[in-house]
Amino acid sequence: MALTTGIINDKERAQFLVPRRAFTDRSIFEKEYEAIFNKCWLYLGHASELAEPGTFLTRTVARRPILFTRDKEGEYHALLNACPHRGALVCRERHGKGRAFMCMYHGWTFGSDGHLMTLPGSSGYPKGFKTDPQKQMVHVPRMERFGDFFFINFSKDGEDLATYLADAGDTLKLLGEHSPGGMQIVGGTQEYSIRGNWKLLAENSFDGYHAACNHSTYLEYLGNTKGALGVDPLKGEAVDLKNGHAMVEYTAPWGRPIANWVPIWGEEGKKEIDAVYAELQSRVGPERAERIAKKSRNMVIFPNLVINDIMAITVRTFFPTAPDYMEINAWALAPKEETEWRRKFRLYNFTEFLGPGGFATPDDVEAIEKCQQGYAVGGDAQYNDISKGMARDGAPSFDDEAQMRAYWVEWDRRLSEYEA
Amino acid sequence: MSTATMERTLEDSLLLRLRVEELLFTEADLLDSWKLESWLALFTEDAHYYVPPSDVDGDTATPDTSLFYIMDDPVRMRERVVRLSKIGAHSEHPRSKVRHLVTNVRVERDGDIIRSRSSFIVSRAKDITHDLFVGHYLHEIVDQGGELKIRKKTCVLDMEALRPHARISIIL
Repeated sequence: MALTTGIINDKERAQFLVPRRAFTDRSIFEKEYEAIFNKCWLYLGHASELAEPGTFLTRTVARRPILFTRDKEGEYHALLNACPHRGALVCRERHGKGRAFMCMYHGWTFGSDGHLMTLPGSSGYPKGFKTDPQKQMVHVPRMERFGDFFFINFSKDGEDLATYLADAGDTLKLLGEHSPGGMQIVGGTQEYSIRGNWKLLAENSFDGYHAACNHSTYLEYLGNTKGALGVDPLKGEAVDLKNGHAMVEYTAPWGRPIANWVPIWGEEGKKEIDAVYAELQSRVGPERAERIAKKSRNMVIFPNLVINDIMAITVRTFFPTAPDYMEINAWALAPKEETEWRRKFRLYNFTEFLGPGGFATPDDVEAIEKCQQGYAVGGDAQYNDISKGMARDGAPSFDDEAQMRAYWVEWDRRLSEYEA
Repeated sequence: MSTATMERTLEDSLLLRLRVEELLFTEADLLDSWKLESWLALFTEDAHYYVPPSDVDGDTATPDTSLFYIMDDPVRMRERVVRLSKIGAHSEHPRSKVRHLVTNVRVERDGDIIRSRSSFIVSRAKDITHDLFVGHYLHEIVDQGGELKIRKKTCVLDMEALRPHARISIIL
């Protein structure tokens, strides 16, 4: 049947088609901001990024400048980073330590919780002006944390974060269990952009089908590098995590600092990886330990959070500024107590595959940008095919497209509800 | 210091700078003409190639503790060249037009190491894309029997983010 957005989801014919205007149409892009980015829970940051009270960072989330602070009591706040006076950005630094934020225009100064602390020339204002709620920095309507992951929501109403995350919550918990002492974002952010529609990156981030062709040179590189390959084959399944979230979970031949040893790490490395695995088993039990250590996971939390727990862990978020352009921020997540050796290998693994200078991401970017260019053909070539695996009996394979269909069904639901 | 000694020192430092400039310009030329095997031959066997991200101090950060864009050791530098020679390196097939501008070269001796600091603009053009990478190079150079070889190359981007860029699929 045809959905409101024009998606064709025909189970009998095992056909799932996405109209290409979903990637090119300006009015759809505007609707996405209303129906998705203004309604869904969006990733803001990780607790470890504000490890100490009195620290802050600024970040753009779905086009809005946000000031994320931790006050002296240790409470977290997400503020819209604009002065209530004339609207100038209040904080113009990327991150730092400080409990007062002075707007450089007229000197209005705010606390970490956004309250107006200092009002220069206050005699020009009526009594009570300074404490007027309208004259304080505005909090993002909702902020919640799940474990150490902070999300914000620009809508006052709607489901709470845990309900929204549905089964994706368990995978987030699984990430927390990588470490007995907590996880942290490693310093250094990969900040780049792609000249393509943002949903193409969501699809690409958990597309198990494209690896063999698109990343042939990466797989050959692993083969060339003596000892970089382990014994596990690329094999696994796609899992619908509800509410548009989905993942692929699979075994893979690459090494994982938690905790899948490959020969290149040597005998000393093996001792360390064995110890990590033993600690993991005693803490979370053998079954969960095996899942954490041996399985890779590519997860997309609708609409724009990717957490890929593969040869390293990347936390990646992105948002469009136009139908054919998106901005991406990516971080590395790692156990806090990790030894120097393991941290080094984790980052070495990360940069090997991931990011603008890796051996794989540039080719993903090429694919995304060429899709966007290809859509210009118009005419009768109106649909993308996302049907792979629909006709299969049993669980969908990691290299099918069931995970993308889950994403698109939610995308359609959100836009259709908005139009209704 | 006598005038003669000063002139000797000045001559030495000018000569050293000319030798380093010759190396940097050769490097740029090889990269612009996609002679990547020859580019690799300019490096020592234990060389490293780094591109730090924009939100750390690229002059001092280390890739062992901060997430970089590129942290190549000798194995990965070689593999980068191997990969870029294949048509399966889709991002660079067909190849981009590349131009490296290297300027403001400063050179100083630090024991056996020659440290060079220079400014760069690297242009990458391919179909719809034309991106400029702006920053400064930090080269660690050693004299191997009269031949200068690069032991470490760090490309510090003087940019706020890699935008509108999407990739560093060429060698900076």
